[in-house]
Amino acid sequence: MDRRVRSDHLPARRGIARPGRAAGGRLRLAAWRARYVAAEAAAGFRRNGLMTAAAVTTIGVALLAAGAGVLAAVNLSHLAEVLESQVQVVAYLQDGLDDGQISRVRQAVQDVAGVRQVRVVSRQEALRVLRQRLGDSPAFDDLEAHNPLPDSLEVAAEDPRRVRHVAAAVAAVPGVAEVTYGAQVTDRLLALTAAVRVAAAAATACLAAVAAVVVANTIRMTVLARRQELDIMLLVGASRWAVQWPLLLEGVLQGAAAAAAAVLVLMGLYAVAASRLTAALPFLPVVPPSRVAVLLAATVGSVGVGVGAAGAVFAVRRFVAS
Amino acid sequence: MVEFEDVTKIFPAGLVALRGVSFRIDPGEFVFLVGPTGAGKSTLLRLIYRDEIPTAGRVSVLGRDVGRLRGGAVALLRRRLGVVFQDFKLLPRRTALENVAFALQVTGAPVEEVRPRALRALDLVGVAPRAHAYPAELSGGEQQRVSIARAIVNDPPLLLADEPTGNLDPRTSWEIIRLLAEINRRGTTVVVATHNKTIVDVCRQRVIELAAGRVVRDQRRGLYAVEA
Repeated sequence: MDRRVRSDHLPARRGIARPGRAAGGRLRLAAWRARYVAAEAAAGFRRNGLMTAAAVTTIGVALLAAGAGVLAAVNLSHLAEVLESQVQVVAYLQDGLDDGQISRVRQAVQDVAGVRQVRVVSRQEALRVLRQRLGDSPAFDDLEAHNPLPDSLEVAAEDPRRVRHVAAAVAAVPGVAEVTYGAQVTDRLLALTAAVRVAAAAATACLAAVAAVVVANTIRMTVLARRQELDIMLLVGASRWAVQWPLLLEGVLQGAAAAAAAVLVLMGLYAVAASRLTAALPFLPVVPPSRVAVLLAATVGSVGVGVGAAGAVFAVRRFVAS
Repeated sequence: MVEFEDVTKIFPAGLVALRGVSFRIDPGEFVFLVGPTGAGKSTLLRLIYRDEIPTAGRVSVLGRDVGRLRGGAVALLRRRLGVVFQDFKLLPRRTALENVAFALQVTGAPVEEVRPRALRALDLVGVAPRAHAYPAELSGGEQQRVSIARAIVNDPPLLLADEPTGNLDPRTSWEIIRLLAEINRRGTTVVVATHNKTIVDVCRQRVIELAAGRVVRDQRRGLYAVEA
């Protein structure tokens, strides 16, 4: 009849029927907790199906926007890089230098501070390039005999933004007749790429911030919807961690699920857009989908998980701490 | 078991819920807490299960100064108390069995013990056949039985009930009171806040009467009201 086991002291801090507290107990307790948290989080998904679906959808849409920002930023930055790599200084050499003199001038230019690479372009090669570019025509046959083009050096700067200084220094090298670097075009290009980088970063940051706010609100709503449940949990003696950790894990899982969906959608759309763009505008440097996949998954994934966890912590702390 | 020493509770808005309340409840007692709505019965119970802390005075429960408990100690105290409410407070998306089992799970009871112990508690209160029903599928009396099962599944030495029959018809109310008396007979201290005159008058148990936050009567084998 008397099935109760009664002890008259309050077993505070000694754990009530908690699995093991001696050696090995810590591990068993951890395992028990992990199992409890996982089971409760999974049950939370199941019991709050509609709310979870709403949260995942909202987070997913926010991440979609943030992910699109990442893709845009990657492409703009790639575009800027390509454009910058095309900025180069051309040094035309004085007429009548022999191979040994050209070689010495080349070495002198190579030694100029800020120069990354120097390539000698002989007048014959320059003519060939010109001929190719303008389309073969018999008129060139005549020019072969009396090539009017000078020998030149193509100079790549280490930092495209310092190309003006490099050009000035190269111009001072003996044997160099004239230097061009497309001053205006280069300056505008560099200003543009700087603006593009700033804009891309700002857009991504804004979209991420919006995503974070949306997620925090969504999780708060789920917590409010479950307030009664959390109250009862605390009432029957659930410790704070027993209430908090499943909610935290739920937030993380929601973020991860939303991130996975957003990455799939974005990659699909991006693959289509990239192939169309490349077909229509072949000169446009589009980053191939395979190269952005990892970056996109990593950023969107970590933002999703981080934002899910942060939102859960934020929402739960306000509730449980009181 | 429970001891109030000159306890005053004033809510932030300035409302004085309890004023200089002192009494002592010994193990094994069955106590009715009576008084009109707003007299402070619920506040008194909430002080016992540490949902509130006293503004002044000392509340000790199971040998602990409840006002000083922090964090984890509160959870541990609540595992040693059963609490039953007028509105049952069952989790709507969990079955009767899951509701009872949850109170065991959070205490870290061994997984293999949870189900049999929860079923035994449901059996004790007479709703084992409805173990897999959701609260919405149960009658009021059945829901209250499930909430009592949840309250006693951890074998608490103390059971608190706040208007447990408030939402029930007279016949079901009697069944619930009989159940609480049975739990008391097995050794659990029971405190019931109620304004059901009939029940108090028939049971003839100890009565503590509150009026405007003060204890105005504490009587062995008392009636709901002092006879005029």
